[in-house]
Amino acid sequence: MSRIFVTGMGAISAIGNSVAGNRAALIEGRTGIGPLRQFNTRYADLLPFGEVEISTASLADKLSAHEPGLTRTSLLALHAFEEAVADAGWDEAIVQSSDTALIGANTVGGMCLTDELYRDANSREAGSPYLASYDAASVNLYLQKRFGLTGIINTINTACSSSANAIAYGARLIQHGFAKRAIVGGTDSLAKFTINGFNALHILSAKPCAPFDQDRNGLNLGEGAAFIILENETALKERKTYAILSGHANSNDAFHPSSISDEGEGPYRSMKGALELAALRPGDISFINAHGTGTENNDLTESRAMLRLFEKVPPFASTKSNTGHTLGAAGALEAVFSILNLYHQEIYPAQNWQQPIPETGLRPVHAYQQLPLQHVMSNSFGFGGNCTSLVFSAC
Amino acid sequence: MNNTDTEQLKQQLKQQIVTFLNLINVKPEDIKDDEPLFGSGLGLDSIDSLELIVLLSREYGINIQDPKEGRKVLVDINTIADYIQKHRTK
Amino acid sequence: MLLYVHQSSCISPQQTFGAKDLDSLQPAVNNAFRIIEPSYEGIPTGILRRMGKAVRMGTGAALPLLRNRATPVDGIIIGTANGGMEDCIKFLNQIIEYQEGMLTPTNFVQSTTNAIASQIGLMTSNRNYNITHVQRGLAFENALLDAAMLAADHKAQSFLVGGVDEISAYNYNIDLLDGWFKQETITGNDLYSYDTPGSIAGEGCAMFLVNSHPDEAVACIKAVEIIHSSDPAWVAAALDRFLLHHLGTQQPAVFMSGEDGDSRLHAFYQACESKMNAQASVLRFKHMTGEYATVSAIAVWIACQIIDSAHIPTHMVKRSGGGRTNSVLIYNCHKEQQHSFILLEAVRP
Repeated sequence: MSRIFVTGMGAISAIGNSVAGNRAALIEGRTGIGPLRQFNTRYADLLPFGEVEISTASLADKLSAHEPGLTRTSLLALHAFEEAVADAGWDEAIVQSSDTALIGANTVGGMCLTDELYRDANSREAGSPYLASYDAASVNLYLQKRFGLTGIINTINTACSSSANAIAYGARLIQHGFAKRAIVGGTDSLAKFTINGFNALHILSAKPCAPFDQDRNGLNLGEGAAFIILENETALKERKTYAILSGHANSNDAFHPSSISDEGEGPYRSMKGALELAALRPGDISFINAHGTGTENNDLTESRAMLRLFEKVPPFASTKSNTGHTLGAAGALEAVFSILNLYHQEIYPAQNWQQPIPETGLRPVHAYQQLPLQHVMSNSFGFGGNCTSLVFSAC
Repeated sequence: MNNTDTEQLKQQLKQQIVTFLNLINVKPEDIKDDEPLFGSGLGLDSIDSLELIVLLSREYGINIQDPKEGRKVLVDINTIADYIQKHRTK
Repeated sequence: MLLYVHQSSCISPQQTFGAKDLDSLQPAVNNAFRIIEPSYEGIPTGILRRMGKAVRMGTGAALPLLRNRATPVDGIIIGTANGGMEDCIKFLNQIIEYQEGMLTPTNFVQSTTNAIASQIGLMTSNRNYNITHVQRGLAFENALLDAAMLAADHKAQSFLVGGVDEISAYNYNIDLLDGWFKQETITGNDLYSYDTPGSIAGEGCAMFLVNSHPDEAVACIKAVEIIHSSDPAWVAAALDRFLLHHLGTQQPAVFMSGEDGDSRLHAFYQACESKMNAQASVLRFKHMTGEYATVSAIAVWIACQIIDSAHIPTHMVKRSGGGRTNSVLIYNCHKEQQHSFILLEAVRP
């Protein structure tokens, strides 16, 4: 495959409002997990979450985004989009070129406004300003209008692996000549819909999540957005490059609607497929940003899949212990972290880890380290068995 | 509680399970008291067990917080009926 | 791009599943075109009981194409704007009704948009590529583009690609409040006779088995164009470029217009239709399907039938052309902002 370069990044999460802010928190081992301050739900004080610090109104002011019907999901996306485009040094002409694709991802769309949605779904009178803002596509349709984008635009929803698939799709559009460059990523905001959904499945932890720990008992929901800029080789002369997207693969676990098979067949296949596309051997991987949600099922099955694929499992950790599980944003946010791993040759420690899972004995990285890294893998697995792995390589 | 009450409870429970889980082509009387609900037998799965925990909460005021505890209760109609009789709050 | 359609399946408000009959028209009921639901014999009742309509019809249409295959398909690629909205609203109602108390998870699990593709994967034990595109009125078009890229990369592989959306109380009411459905009573062909905003609600699903091999194919999807714009002149100019690039000086034999009776969209459809000369037959199809985000999937299915049978149902004809049926250009506009051109051609001369 022709080489795809990462030339810009933008990120906002519970641990920072920029890529630099996120990196600083990761180095310090600072987490954004705690009680809710902005979002109103009966679980605000009962469960910890990874909430973005800025209120929706302040985000709108900061971004001068006051169009009616704008949701927090879209505002988070806009924030990360602007940072990524500025970071790549793109001017308006490049953003608006028909060769520039926008591939986004999210799972809740405007359903963060659960109460408005309930009223609009049941009212026979006038609707709210959010009538066209509930679906997943509403985010990219807003970005399209705001920036006058003319290239291919798409939104992907494969649950928790959505934005990893958005990244892969953008790369493929470039390789097939449907675009020369692509803004790819994802967004999601906290919503009663997802909070209650995951709670009904009994997989939200009442404590800060502890990925790959023996006593882990669930995940923490988070929110955020991240975009990265992908360009083909022709952009090289003009711009800095952070990393190469060298591999990606999508596989389905085909086992259960909301849990992964015991042996992690889907995760195994997605990791293996990404290695094959990158023409790498398992031993070439320097670090894995694991999916590592902190649920009993994910961490055990992901560990088993890693043990199957890697003769010696490379250093790995999950940044969900810092940011919470940001669902549709997770794949892109963790792609940013993986690229930071490579660009700064450093790895960020897992939080809250104490004891290995007895069945696997695997120990995640739990202290900040600087070491030579050549290839970093990022895993994202979702409901419906949708598993995707990405491999980034140092330039 | 006498045997008639227990029988009535079991009948009611079977009806509730069929309705709540939207079981197609299963009549309440098809479900045997000692037939395993999960795996073989009715063939229910882990999501159904979470559904049944909600059923027990809404219909009988029984709150099972830990799904593992649920698995011990949700074996067959006999075990559930027994648990309801001991723990129901409505 | 080149994508050859080998098999297809369609569940719609018309007689498209099982014994097909496109010549007789099923009218809308209560201002909505709802699907004729088959008995879903291939779906075990233990699984069927949990499925909302979108998952049911998507799986029901896909299974006949996947059964009896020697090897599993190499990808399951679904376009849907809303996936299982029926379950979504049920879960939402639970959240409000029980004040975020103890809720049942089935509706939540079934409401995730990727539930259709993943259910098809689960039921056919398919561990290959599996994805759900949700770009509203261009979700199916992106699914086609995805499939075309995969087919180009993997010549030996075959893929399932489809579009699915359902009418749920939720999206119907929201789109009604947002002005996308007419208040007048509509039954079918009369859809085009009103000069008022709004169309009529529809739902449906079409599935295709595709690959890069022309042998024995029904039709070839030659090109798909994805456009976001609210300017009719921009869309018309894009059509000029599209025609020049893919057909040179030729015209398509058939122009299938997504015209849906919404007065706000007339300018778009008029601008595109005006690019067709007298040789092209102009057809309409929304009186068969109603309006919804992934209706272009059924348009492609109808186009395949027309190419395969060389027969055009008379109720579809807006303007007769040269009588040829060997190429079909579909233009669809969704809610004034999203547009697509899909060009299909016959494989056999």
